[in-house]
Amino acid sequence: MDEEIRRVAGMILEAPLTRRNRRELLYCGLGGLAGALGFWILVALLVFGLTVSVSVIGTVVGLLLITLTLRLSRRIGSLHRRLSNRILGQQVEPPARFQPGSGALGRVDRRLRDRAAWRAIWYSLVKLPVAFVQLYAIALTVCGLIDFTYPLLWVLFRHGSSAPLPLLQPLPFGGSPTVSTWVGTYFAALVGAFLVVAGAWVARGINAGDRALVRNLLGPTSMAERVSELERTRSLAVEDSAAVLRRVERDLHDGAQMRLAALAMNLGMAREKLEDPDNATVRELIDAAHQNAVDALADLRDLARGIHPPVLDSGLASALASLAASSAIPATVTADIATRPAPAIETIAYFCAAELIANATKHSYANQIKIKIYTERTGFLRLDVSDDGVGGADAARGSGLAGLAQRVSTVDGRIEVSSPAGGPTVVTVELPLRA
Amino acid sequence: MRVVIAEDAALLREGLTRLLEDRGHAVCAAVSDGGALLAAVAEHHPDVAVVDIRMPPTHTDEGLRAALKLRQDFPATGVLMFSQYIETSYSAQLLEGGAAGVGYLLKDRVANVAEFSAALERVAGGGTALDPEVVSQLFRASRQRGGLATLTPRERQVLALMAEGRSNAGIAAELVVSGGAVEKHVASIFTKLGLPPDESDNRRVLAVLRYLGPAGA
Repeated sequence: MDEEIRRVAGMILEAPLTRRNRRELLYCGLGGLAGALGFWILVALLVFGLTVSVSVIGTVVGLLLITLTLRLSRRIGSLHRRLSNRILGQQVEPPARFQPGSGALGRVDRRLRDRAAWRAIWYSLVKLPVAFVQLYAIALTVCGLIDFTYPLLWVLFRHGSSAPLPLLQPLPFGGSPTVSTWVGTYFAALVGAFLVVAGAWVARGINAGDRALVRNLLGPTSMAERVSELERTRSLAVEDSAAVLRRVERDLHDGAQMRLAALAMNLGMAREKLEDPDNATVRELIDAAHQNAVDALADLRDLARGIHPPVLDSGLASALASLAASSAIPATVTADIATRPAPAIETIAYFCAAELIANATKHSYANQIKIKIYTERTGFLRLDVSDDGVGGADAARGSGLAGLAQRVSTVDGRIEVSSPAGGPTVVTVELPLRA
Repeated sequence: MRVVIAEDAALLREGLTRLLEDRGHAVCAAVSDGGALLAAVAEHHPDVAVVDIRMPPTHTDEGLRAALKLRQDFPATGVLMFSQYIETSYSAQLLEGGAAGVGYLLKDRVANVAEFSAALERVAGGGTALDPEVVSQLFRASRQRGGLATLTPRERQVLALMAEGRSNAGIAAELVVSGGAVEKHVASIFTKLGLPPDESDNRRVLAVLRYLGPAGA
């Protein structure tokens, strides 16, 4: 028991002498200063921004100020995190990188919803009292060290002067005692030693708290937030790829397809002018070139249509009507679309319908296909494709249906297949209105 | 023949102008969007307008909407829609008001100058010119109804050409047979499909389209 007490006492008393204590104190100093400074900068900017944005004229300026503050808070947060990682040996990963939006409004909006920046602001606010305690730990240590040297100072510099030495002590009580005797300096040294030990432990305690704050507020967001972040970026990716395909199709239409059409037209005109039998060889060559241009046009058209069916631009209803009209099995379309879905969703719905009609044509022996497309009140787009054929469609076997399921799942949609042997087959696709 | 052209790609617009002028037609105006097309037709009252479907500003179905308006406001002017794609819903809309003076061709067809020019003249004269692609889509759609199965392969060829809007003489030239042979085929087709005997080319196209459904008039 004695042993135990002695061991604990030794640990307490030796704390100031450890390497760790130097790191803790260094962090208290740098982190405390950075915390106090960051707090005032952010609070000043935030309060100013909010005040300005309350007035009608200043809204824009205020919003810009707030976005600026949020940007700065990310920086300050990252400084704190790096200090803590470097000096205290923490390993806190940085939060997800900021994803800038497009357009002025998009950029401001994305900043205002930047969770990592808001969390960094919270950290800076909570950090103020923490910083005070950290700086206090430094004060304790510094005072303690000075007091501890009094016996030495007395011997080296006093030479008979009787003015009392002030005993430094950063406690809120006890007044300002002085030391005026040589014996008194030993008492001062004792107090100094006590202050240094106290400083070490205050530093340790407050830094433990600070570490937890850094971990929780300056690290990566929690799993749930991460998931919603991923959902958001995925939807951006889906929308983006739809837009890219759309652009590729338009480029083909305005570029290569148009040029080929002009080429074929010129060759056709040239051919007409070469009726003379003397030009038989030239005419053969032109005929071949002409045929190549015409074939290339047809190839390119199929390619472009596979990338993005242009008729989709006039809406899903008319695109599906076109699809139904060219179906080998008579197909009818009923459409009731209250809010127009995102382009990416329209594209997925269109290709689903095309694939389902093709499936029915190939396998069902049906006489009639019914296509229904409508928006539900719950914010979903539903596509029902049913036929009166022989049934037996199986999502597990048909690679076509499996491919559809994959495509639909990229936007968290669902596909349901009901196709008992003997029919009828009903396939229901449910898609969110936004990717 | 007096023609107005609406096409946003300068290369094609100039090529078309040259092609038509080469064959002795007058191109009154060559414009690049729907609004300008309506203005040009109102000013020149041409025999026929060649209209690209995708034009600025929306690059979707500008041309189709302008064409529908033309059909309504200037029934004397034939409209030939001209596009990289055949969309059956577009042809259905265009044919809704009847098949007289209406055409819908793929841009590829300008490659065959003589045929393109013949189709344009047909439309200008109040006839019909549908792309073989439109017709084959219609054929595919009505295959299940059985009627077509009773036709001989030759009769099917003739039916397709009729649906494109060709006259008996045009069909005879295309298939390299005599006019009498075509007339015989046509009569046989009309009997087999239970269509009323034809009077004019135009009514005949309508009857055929109605039979082929769903894009029919």
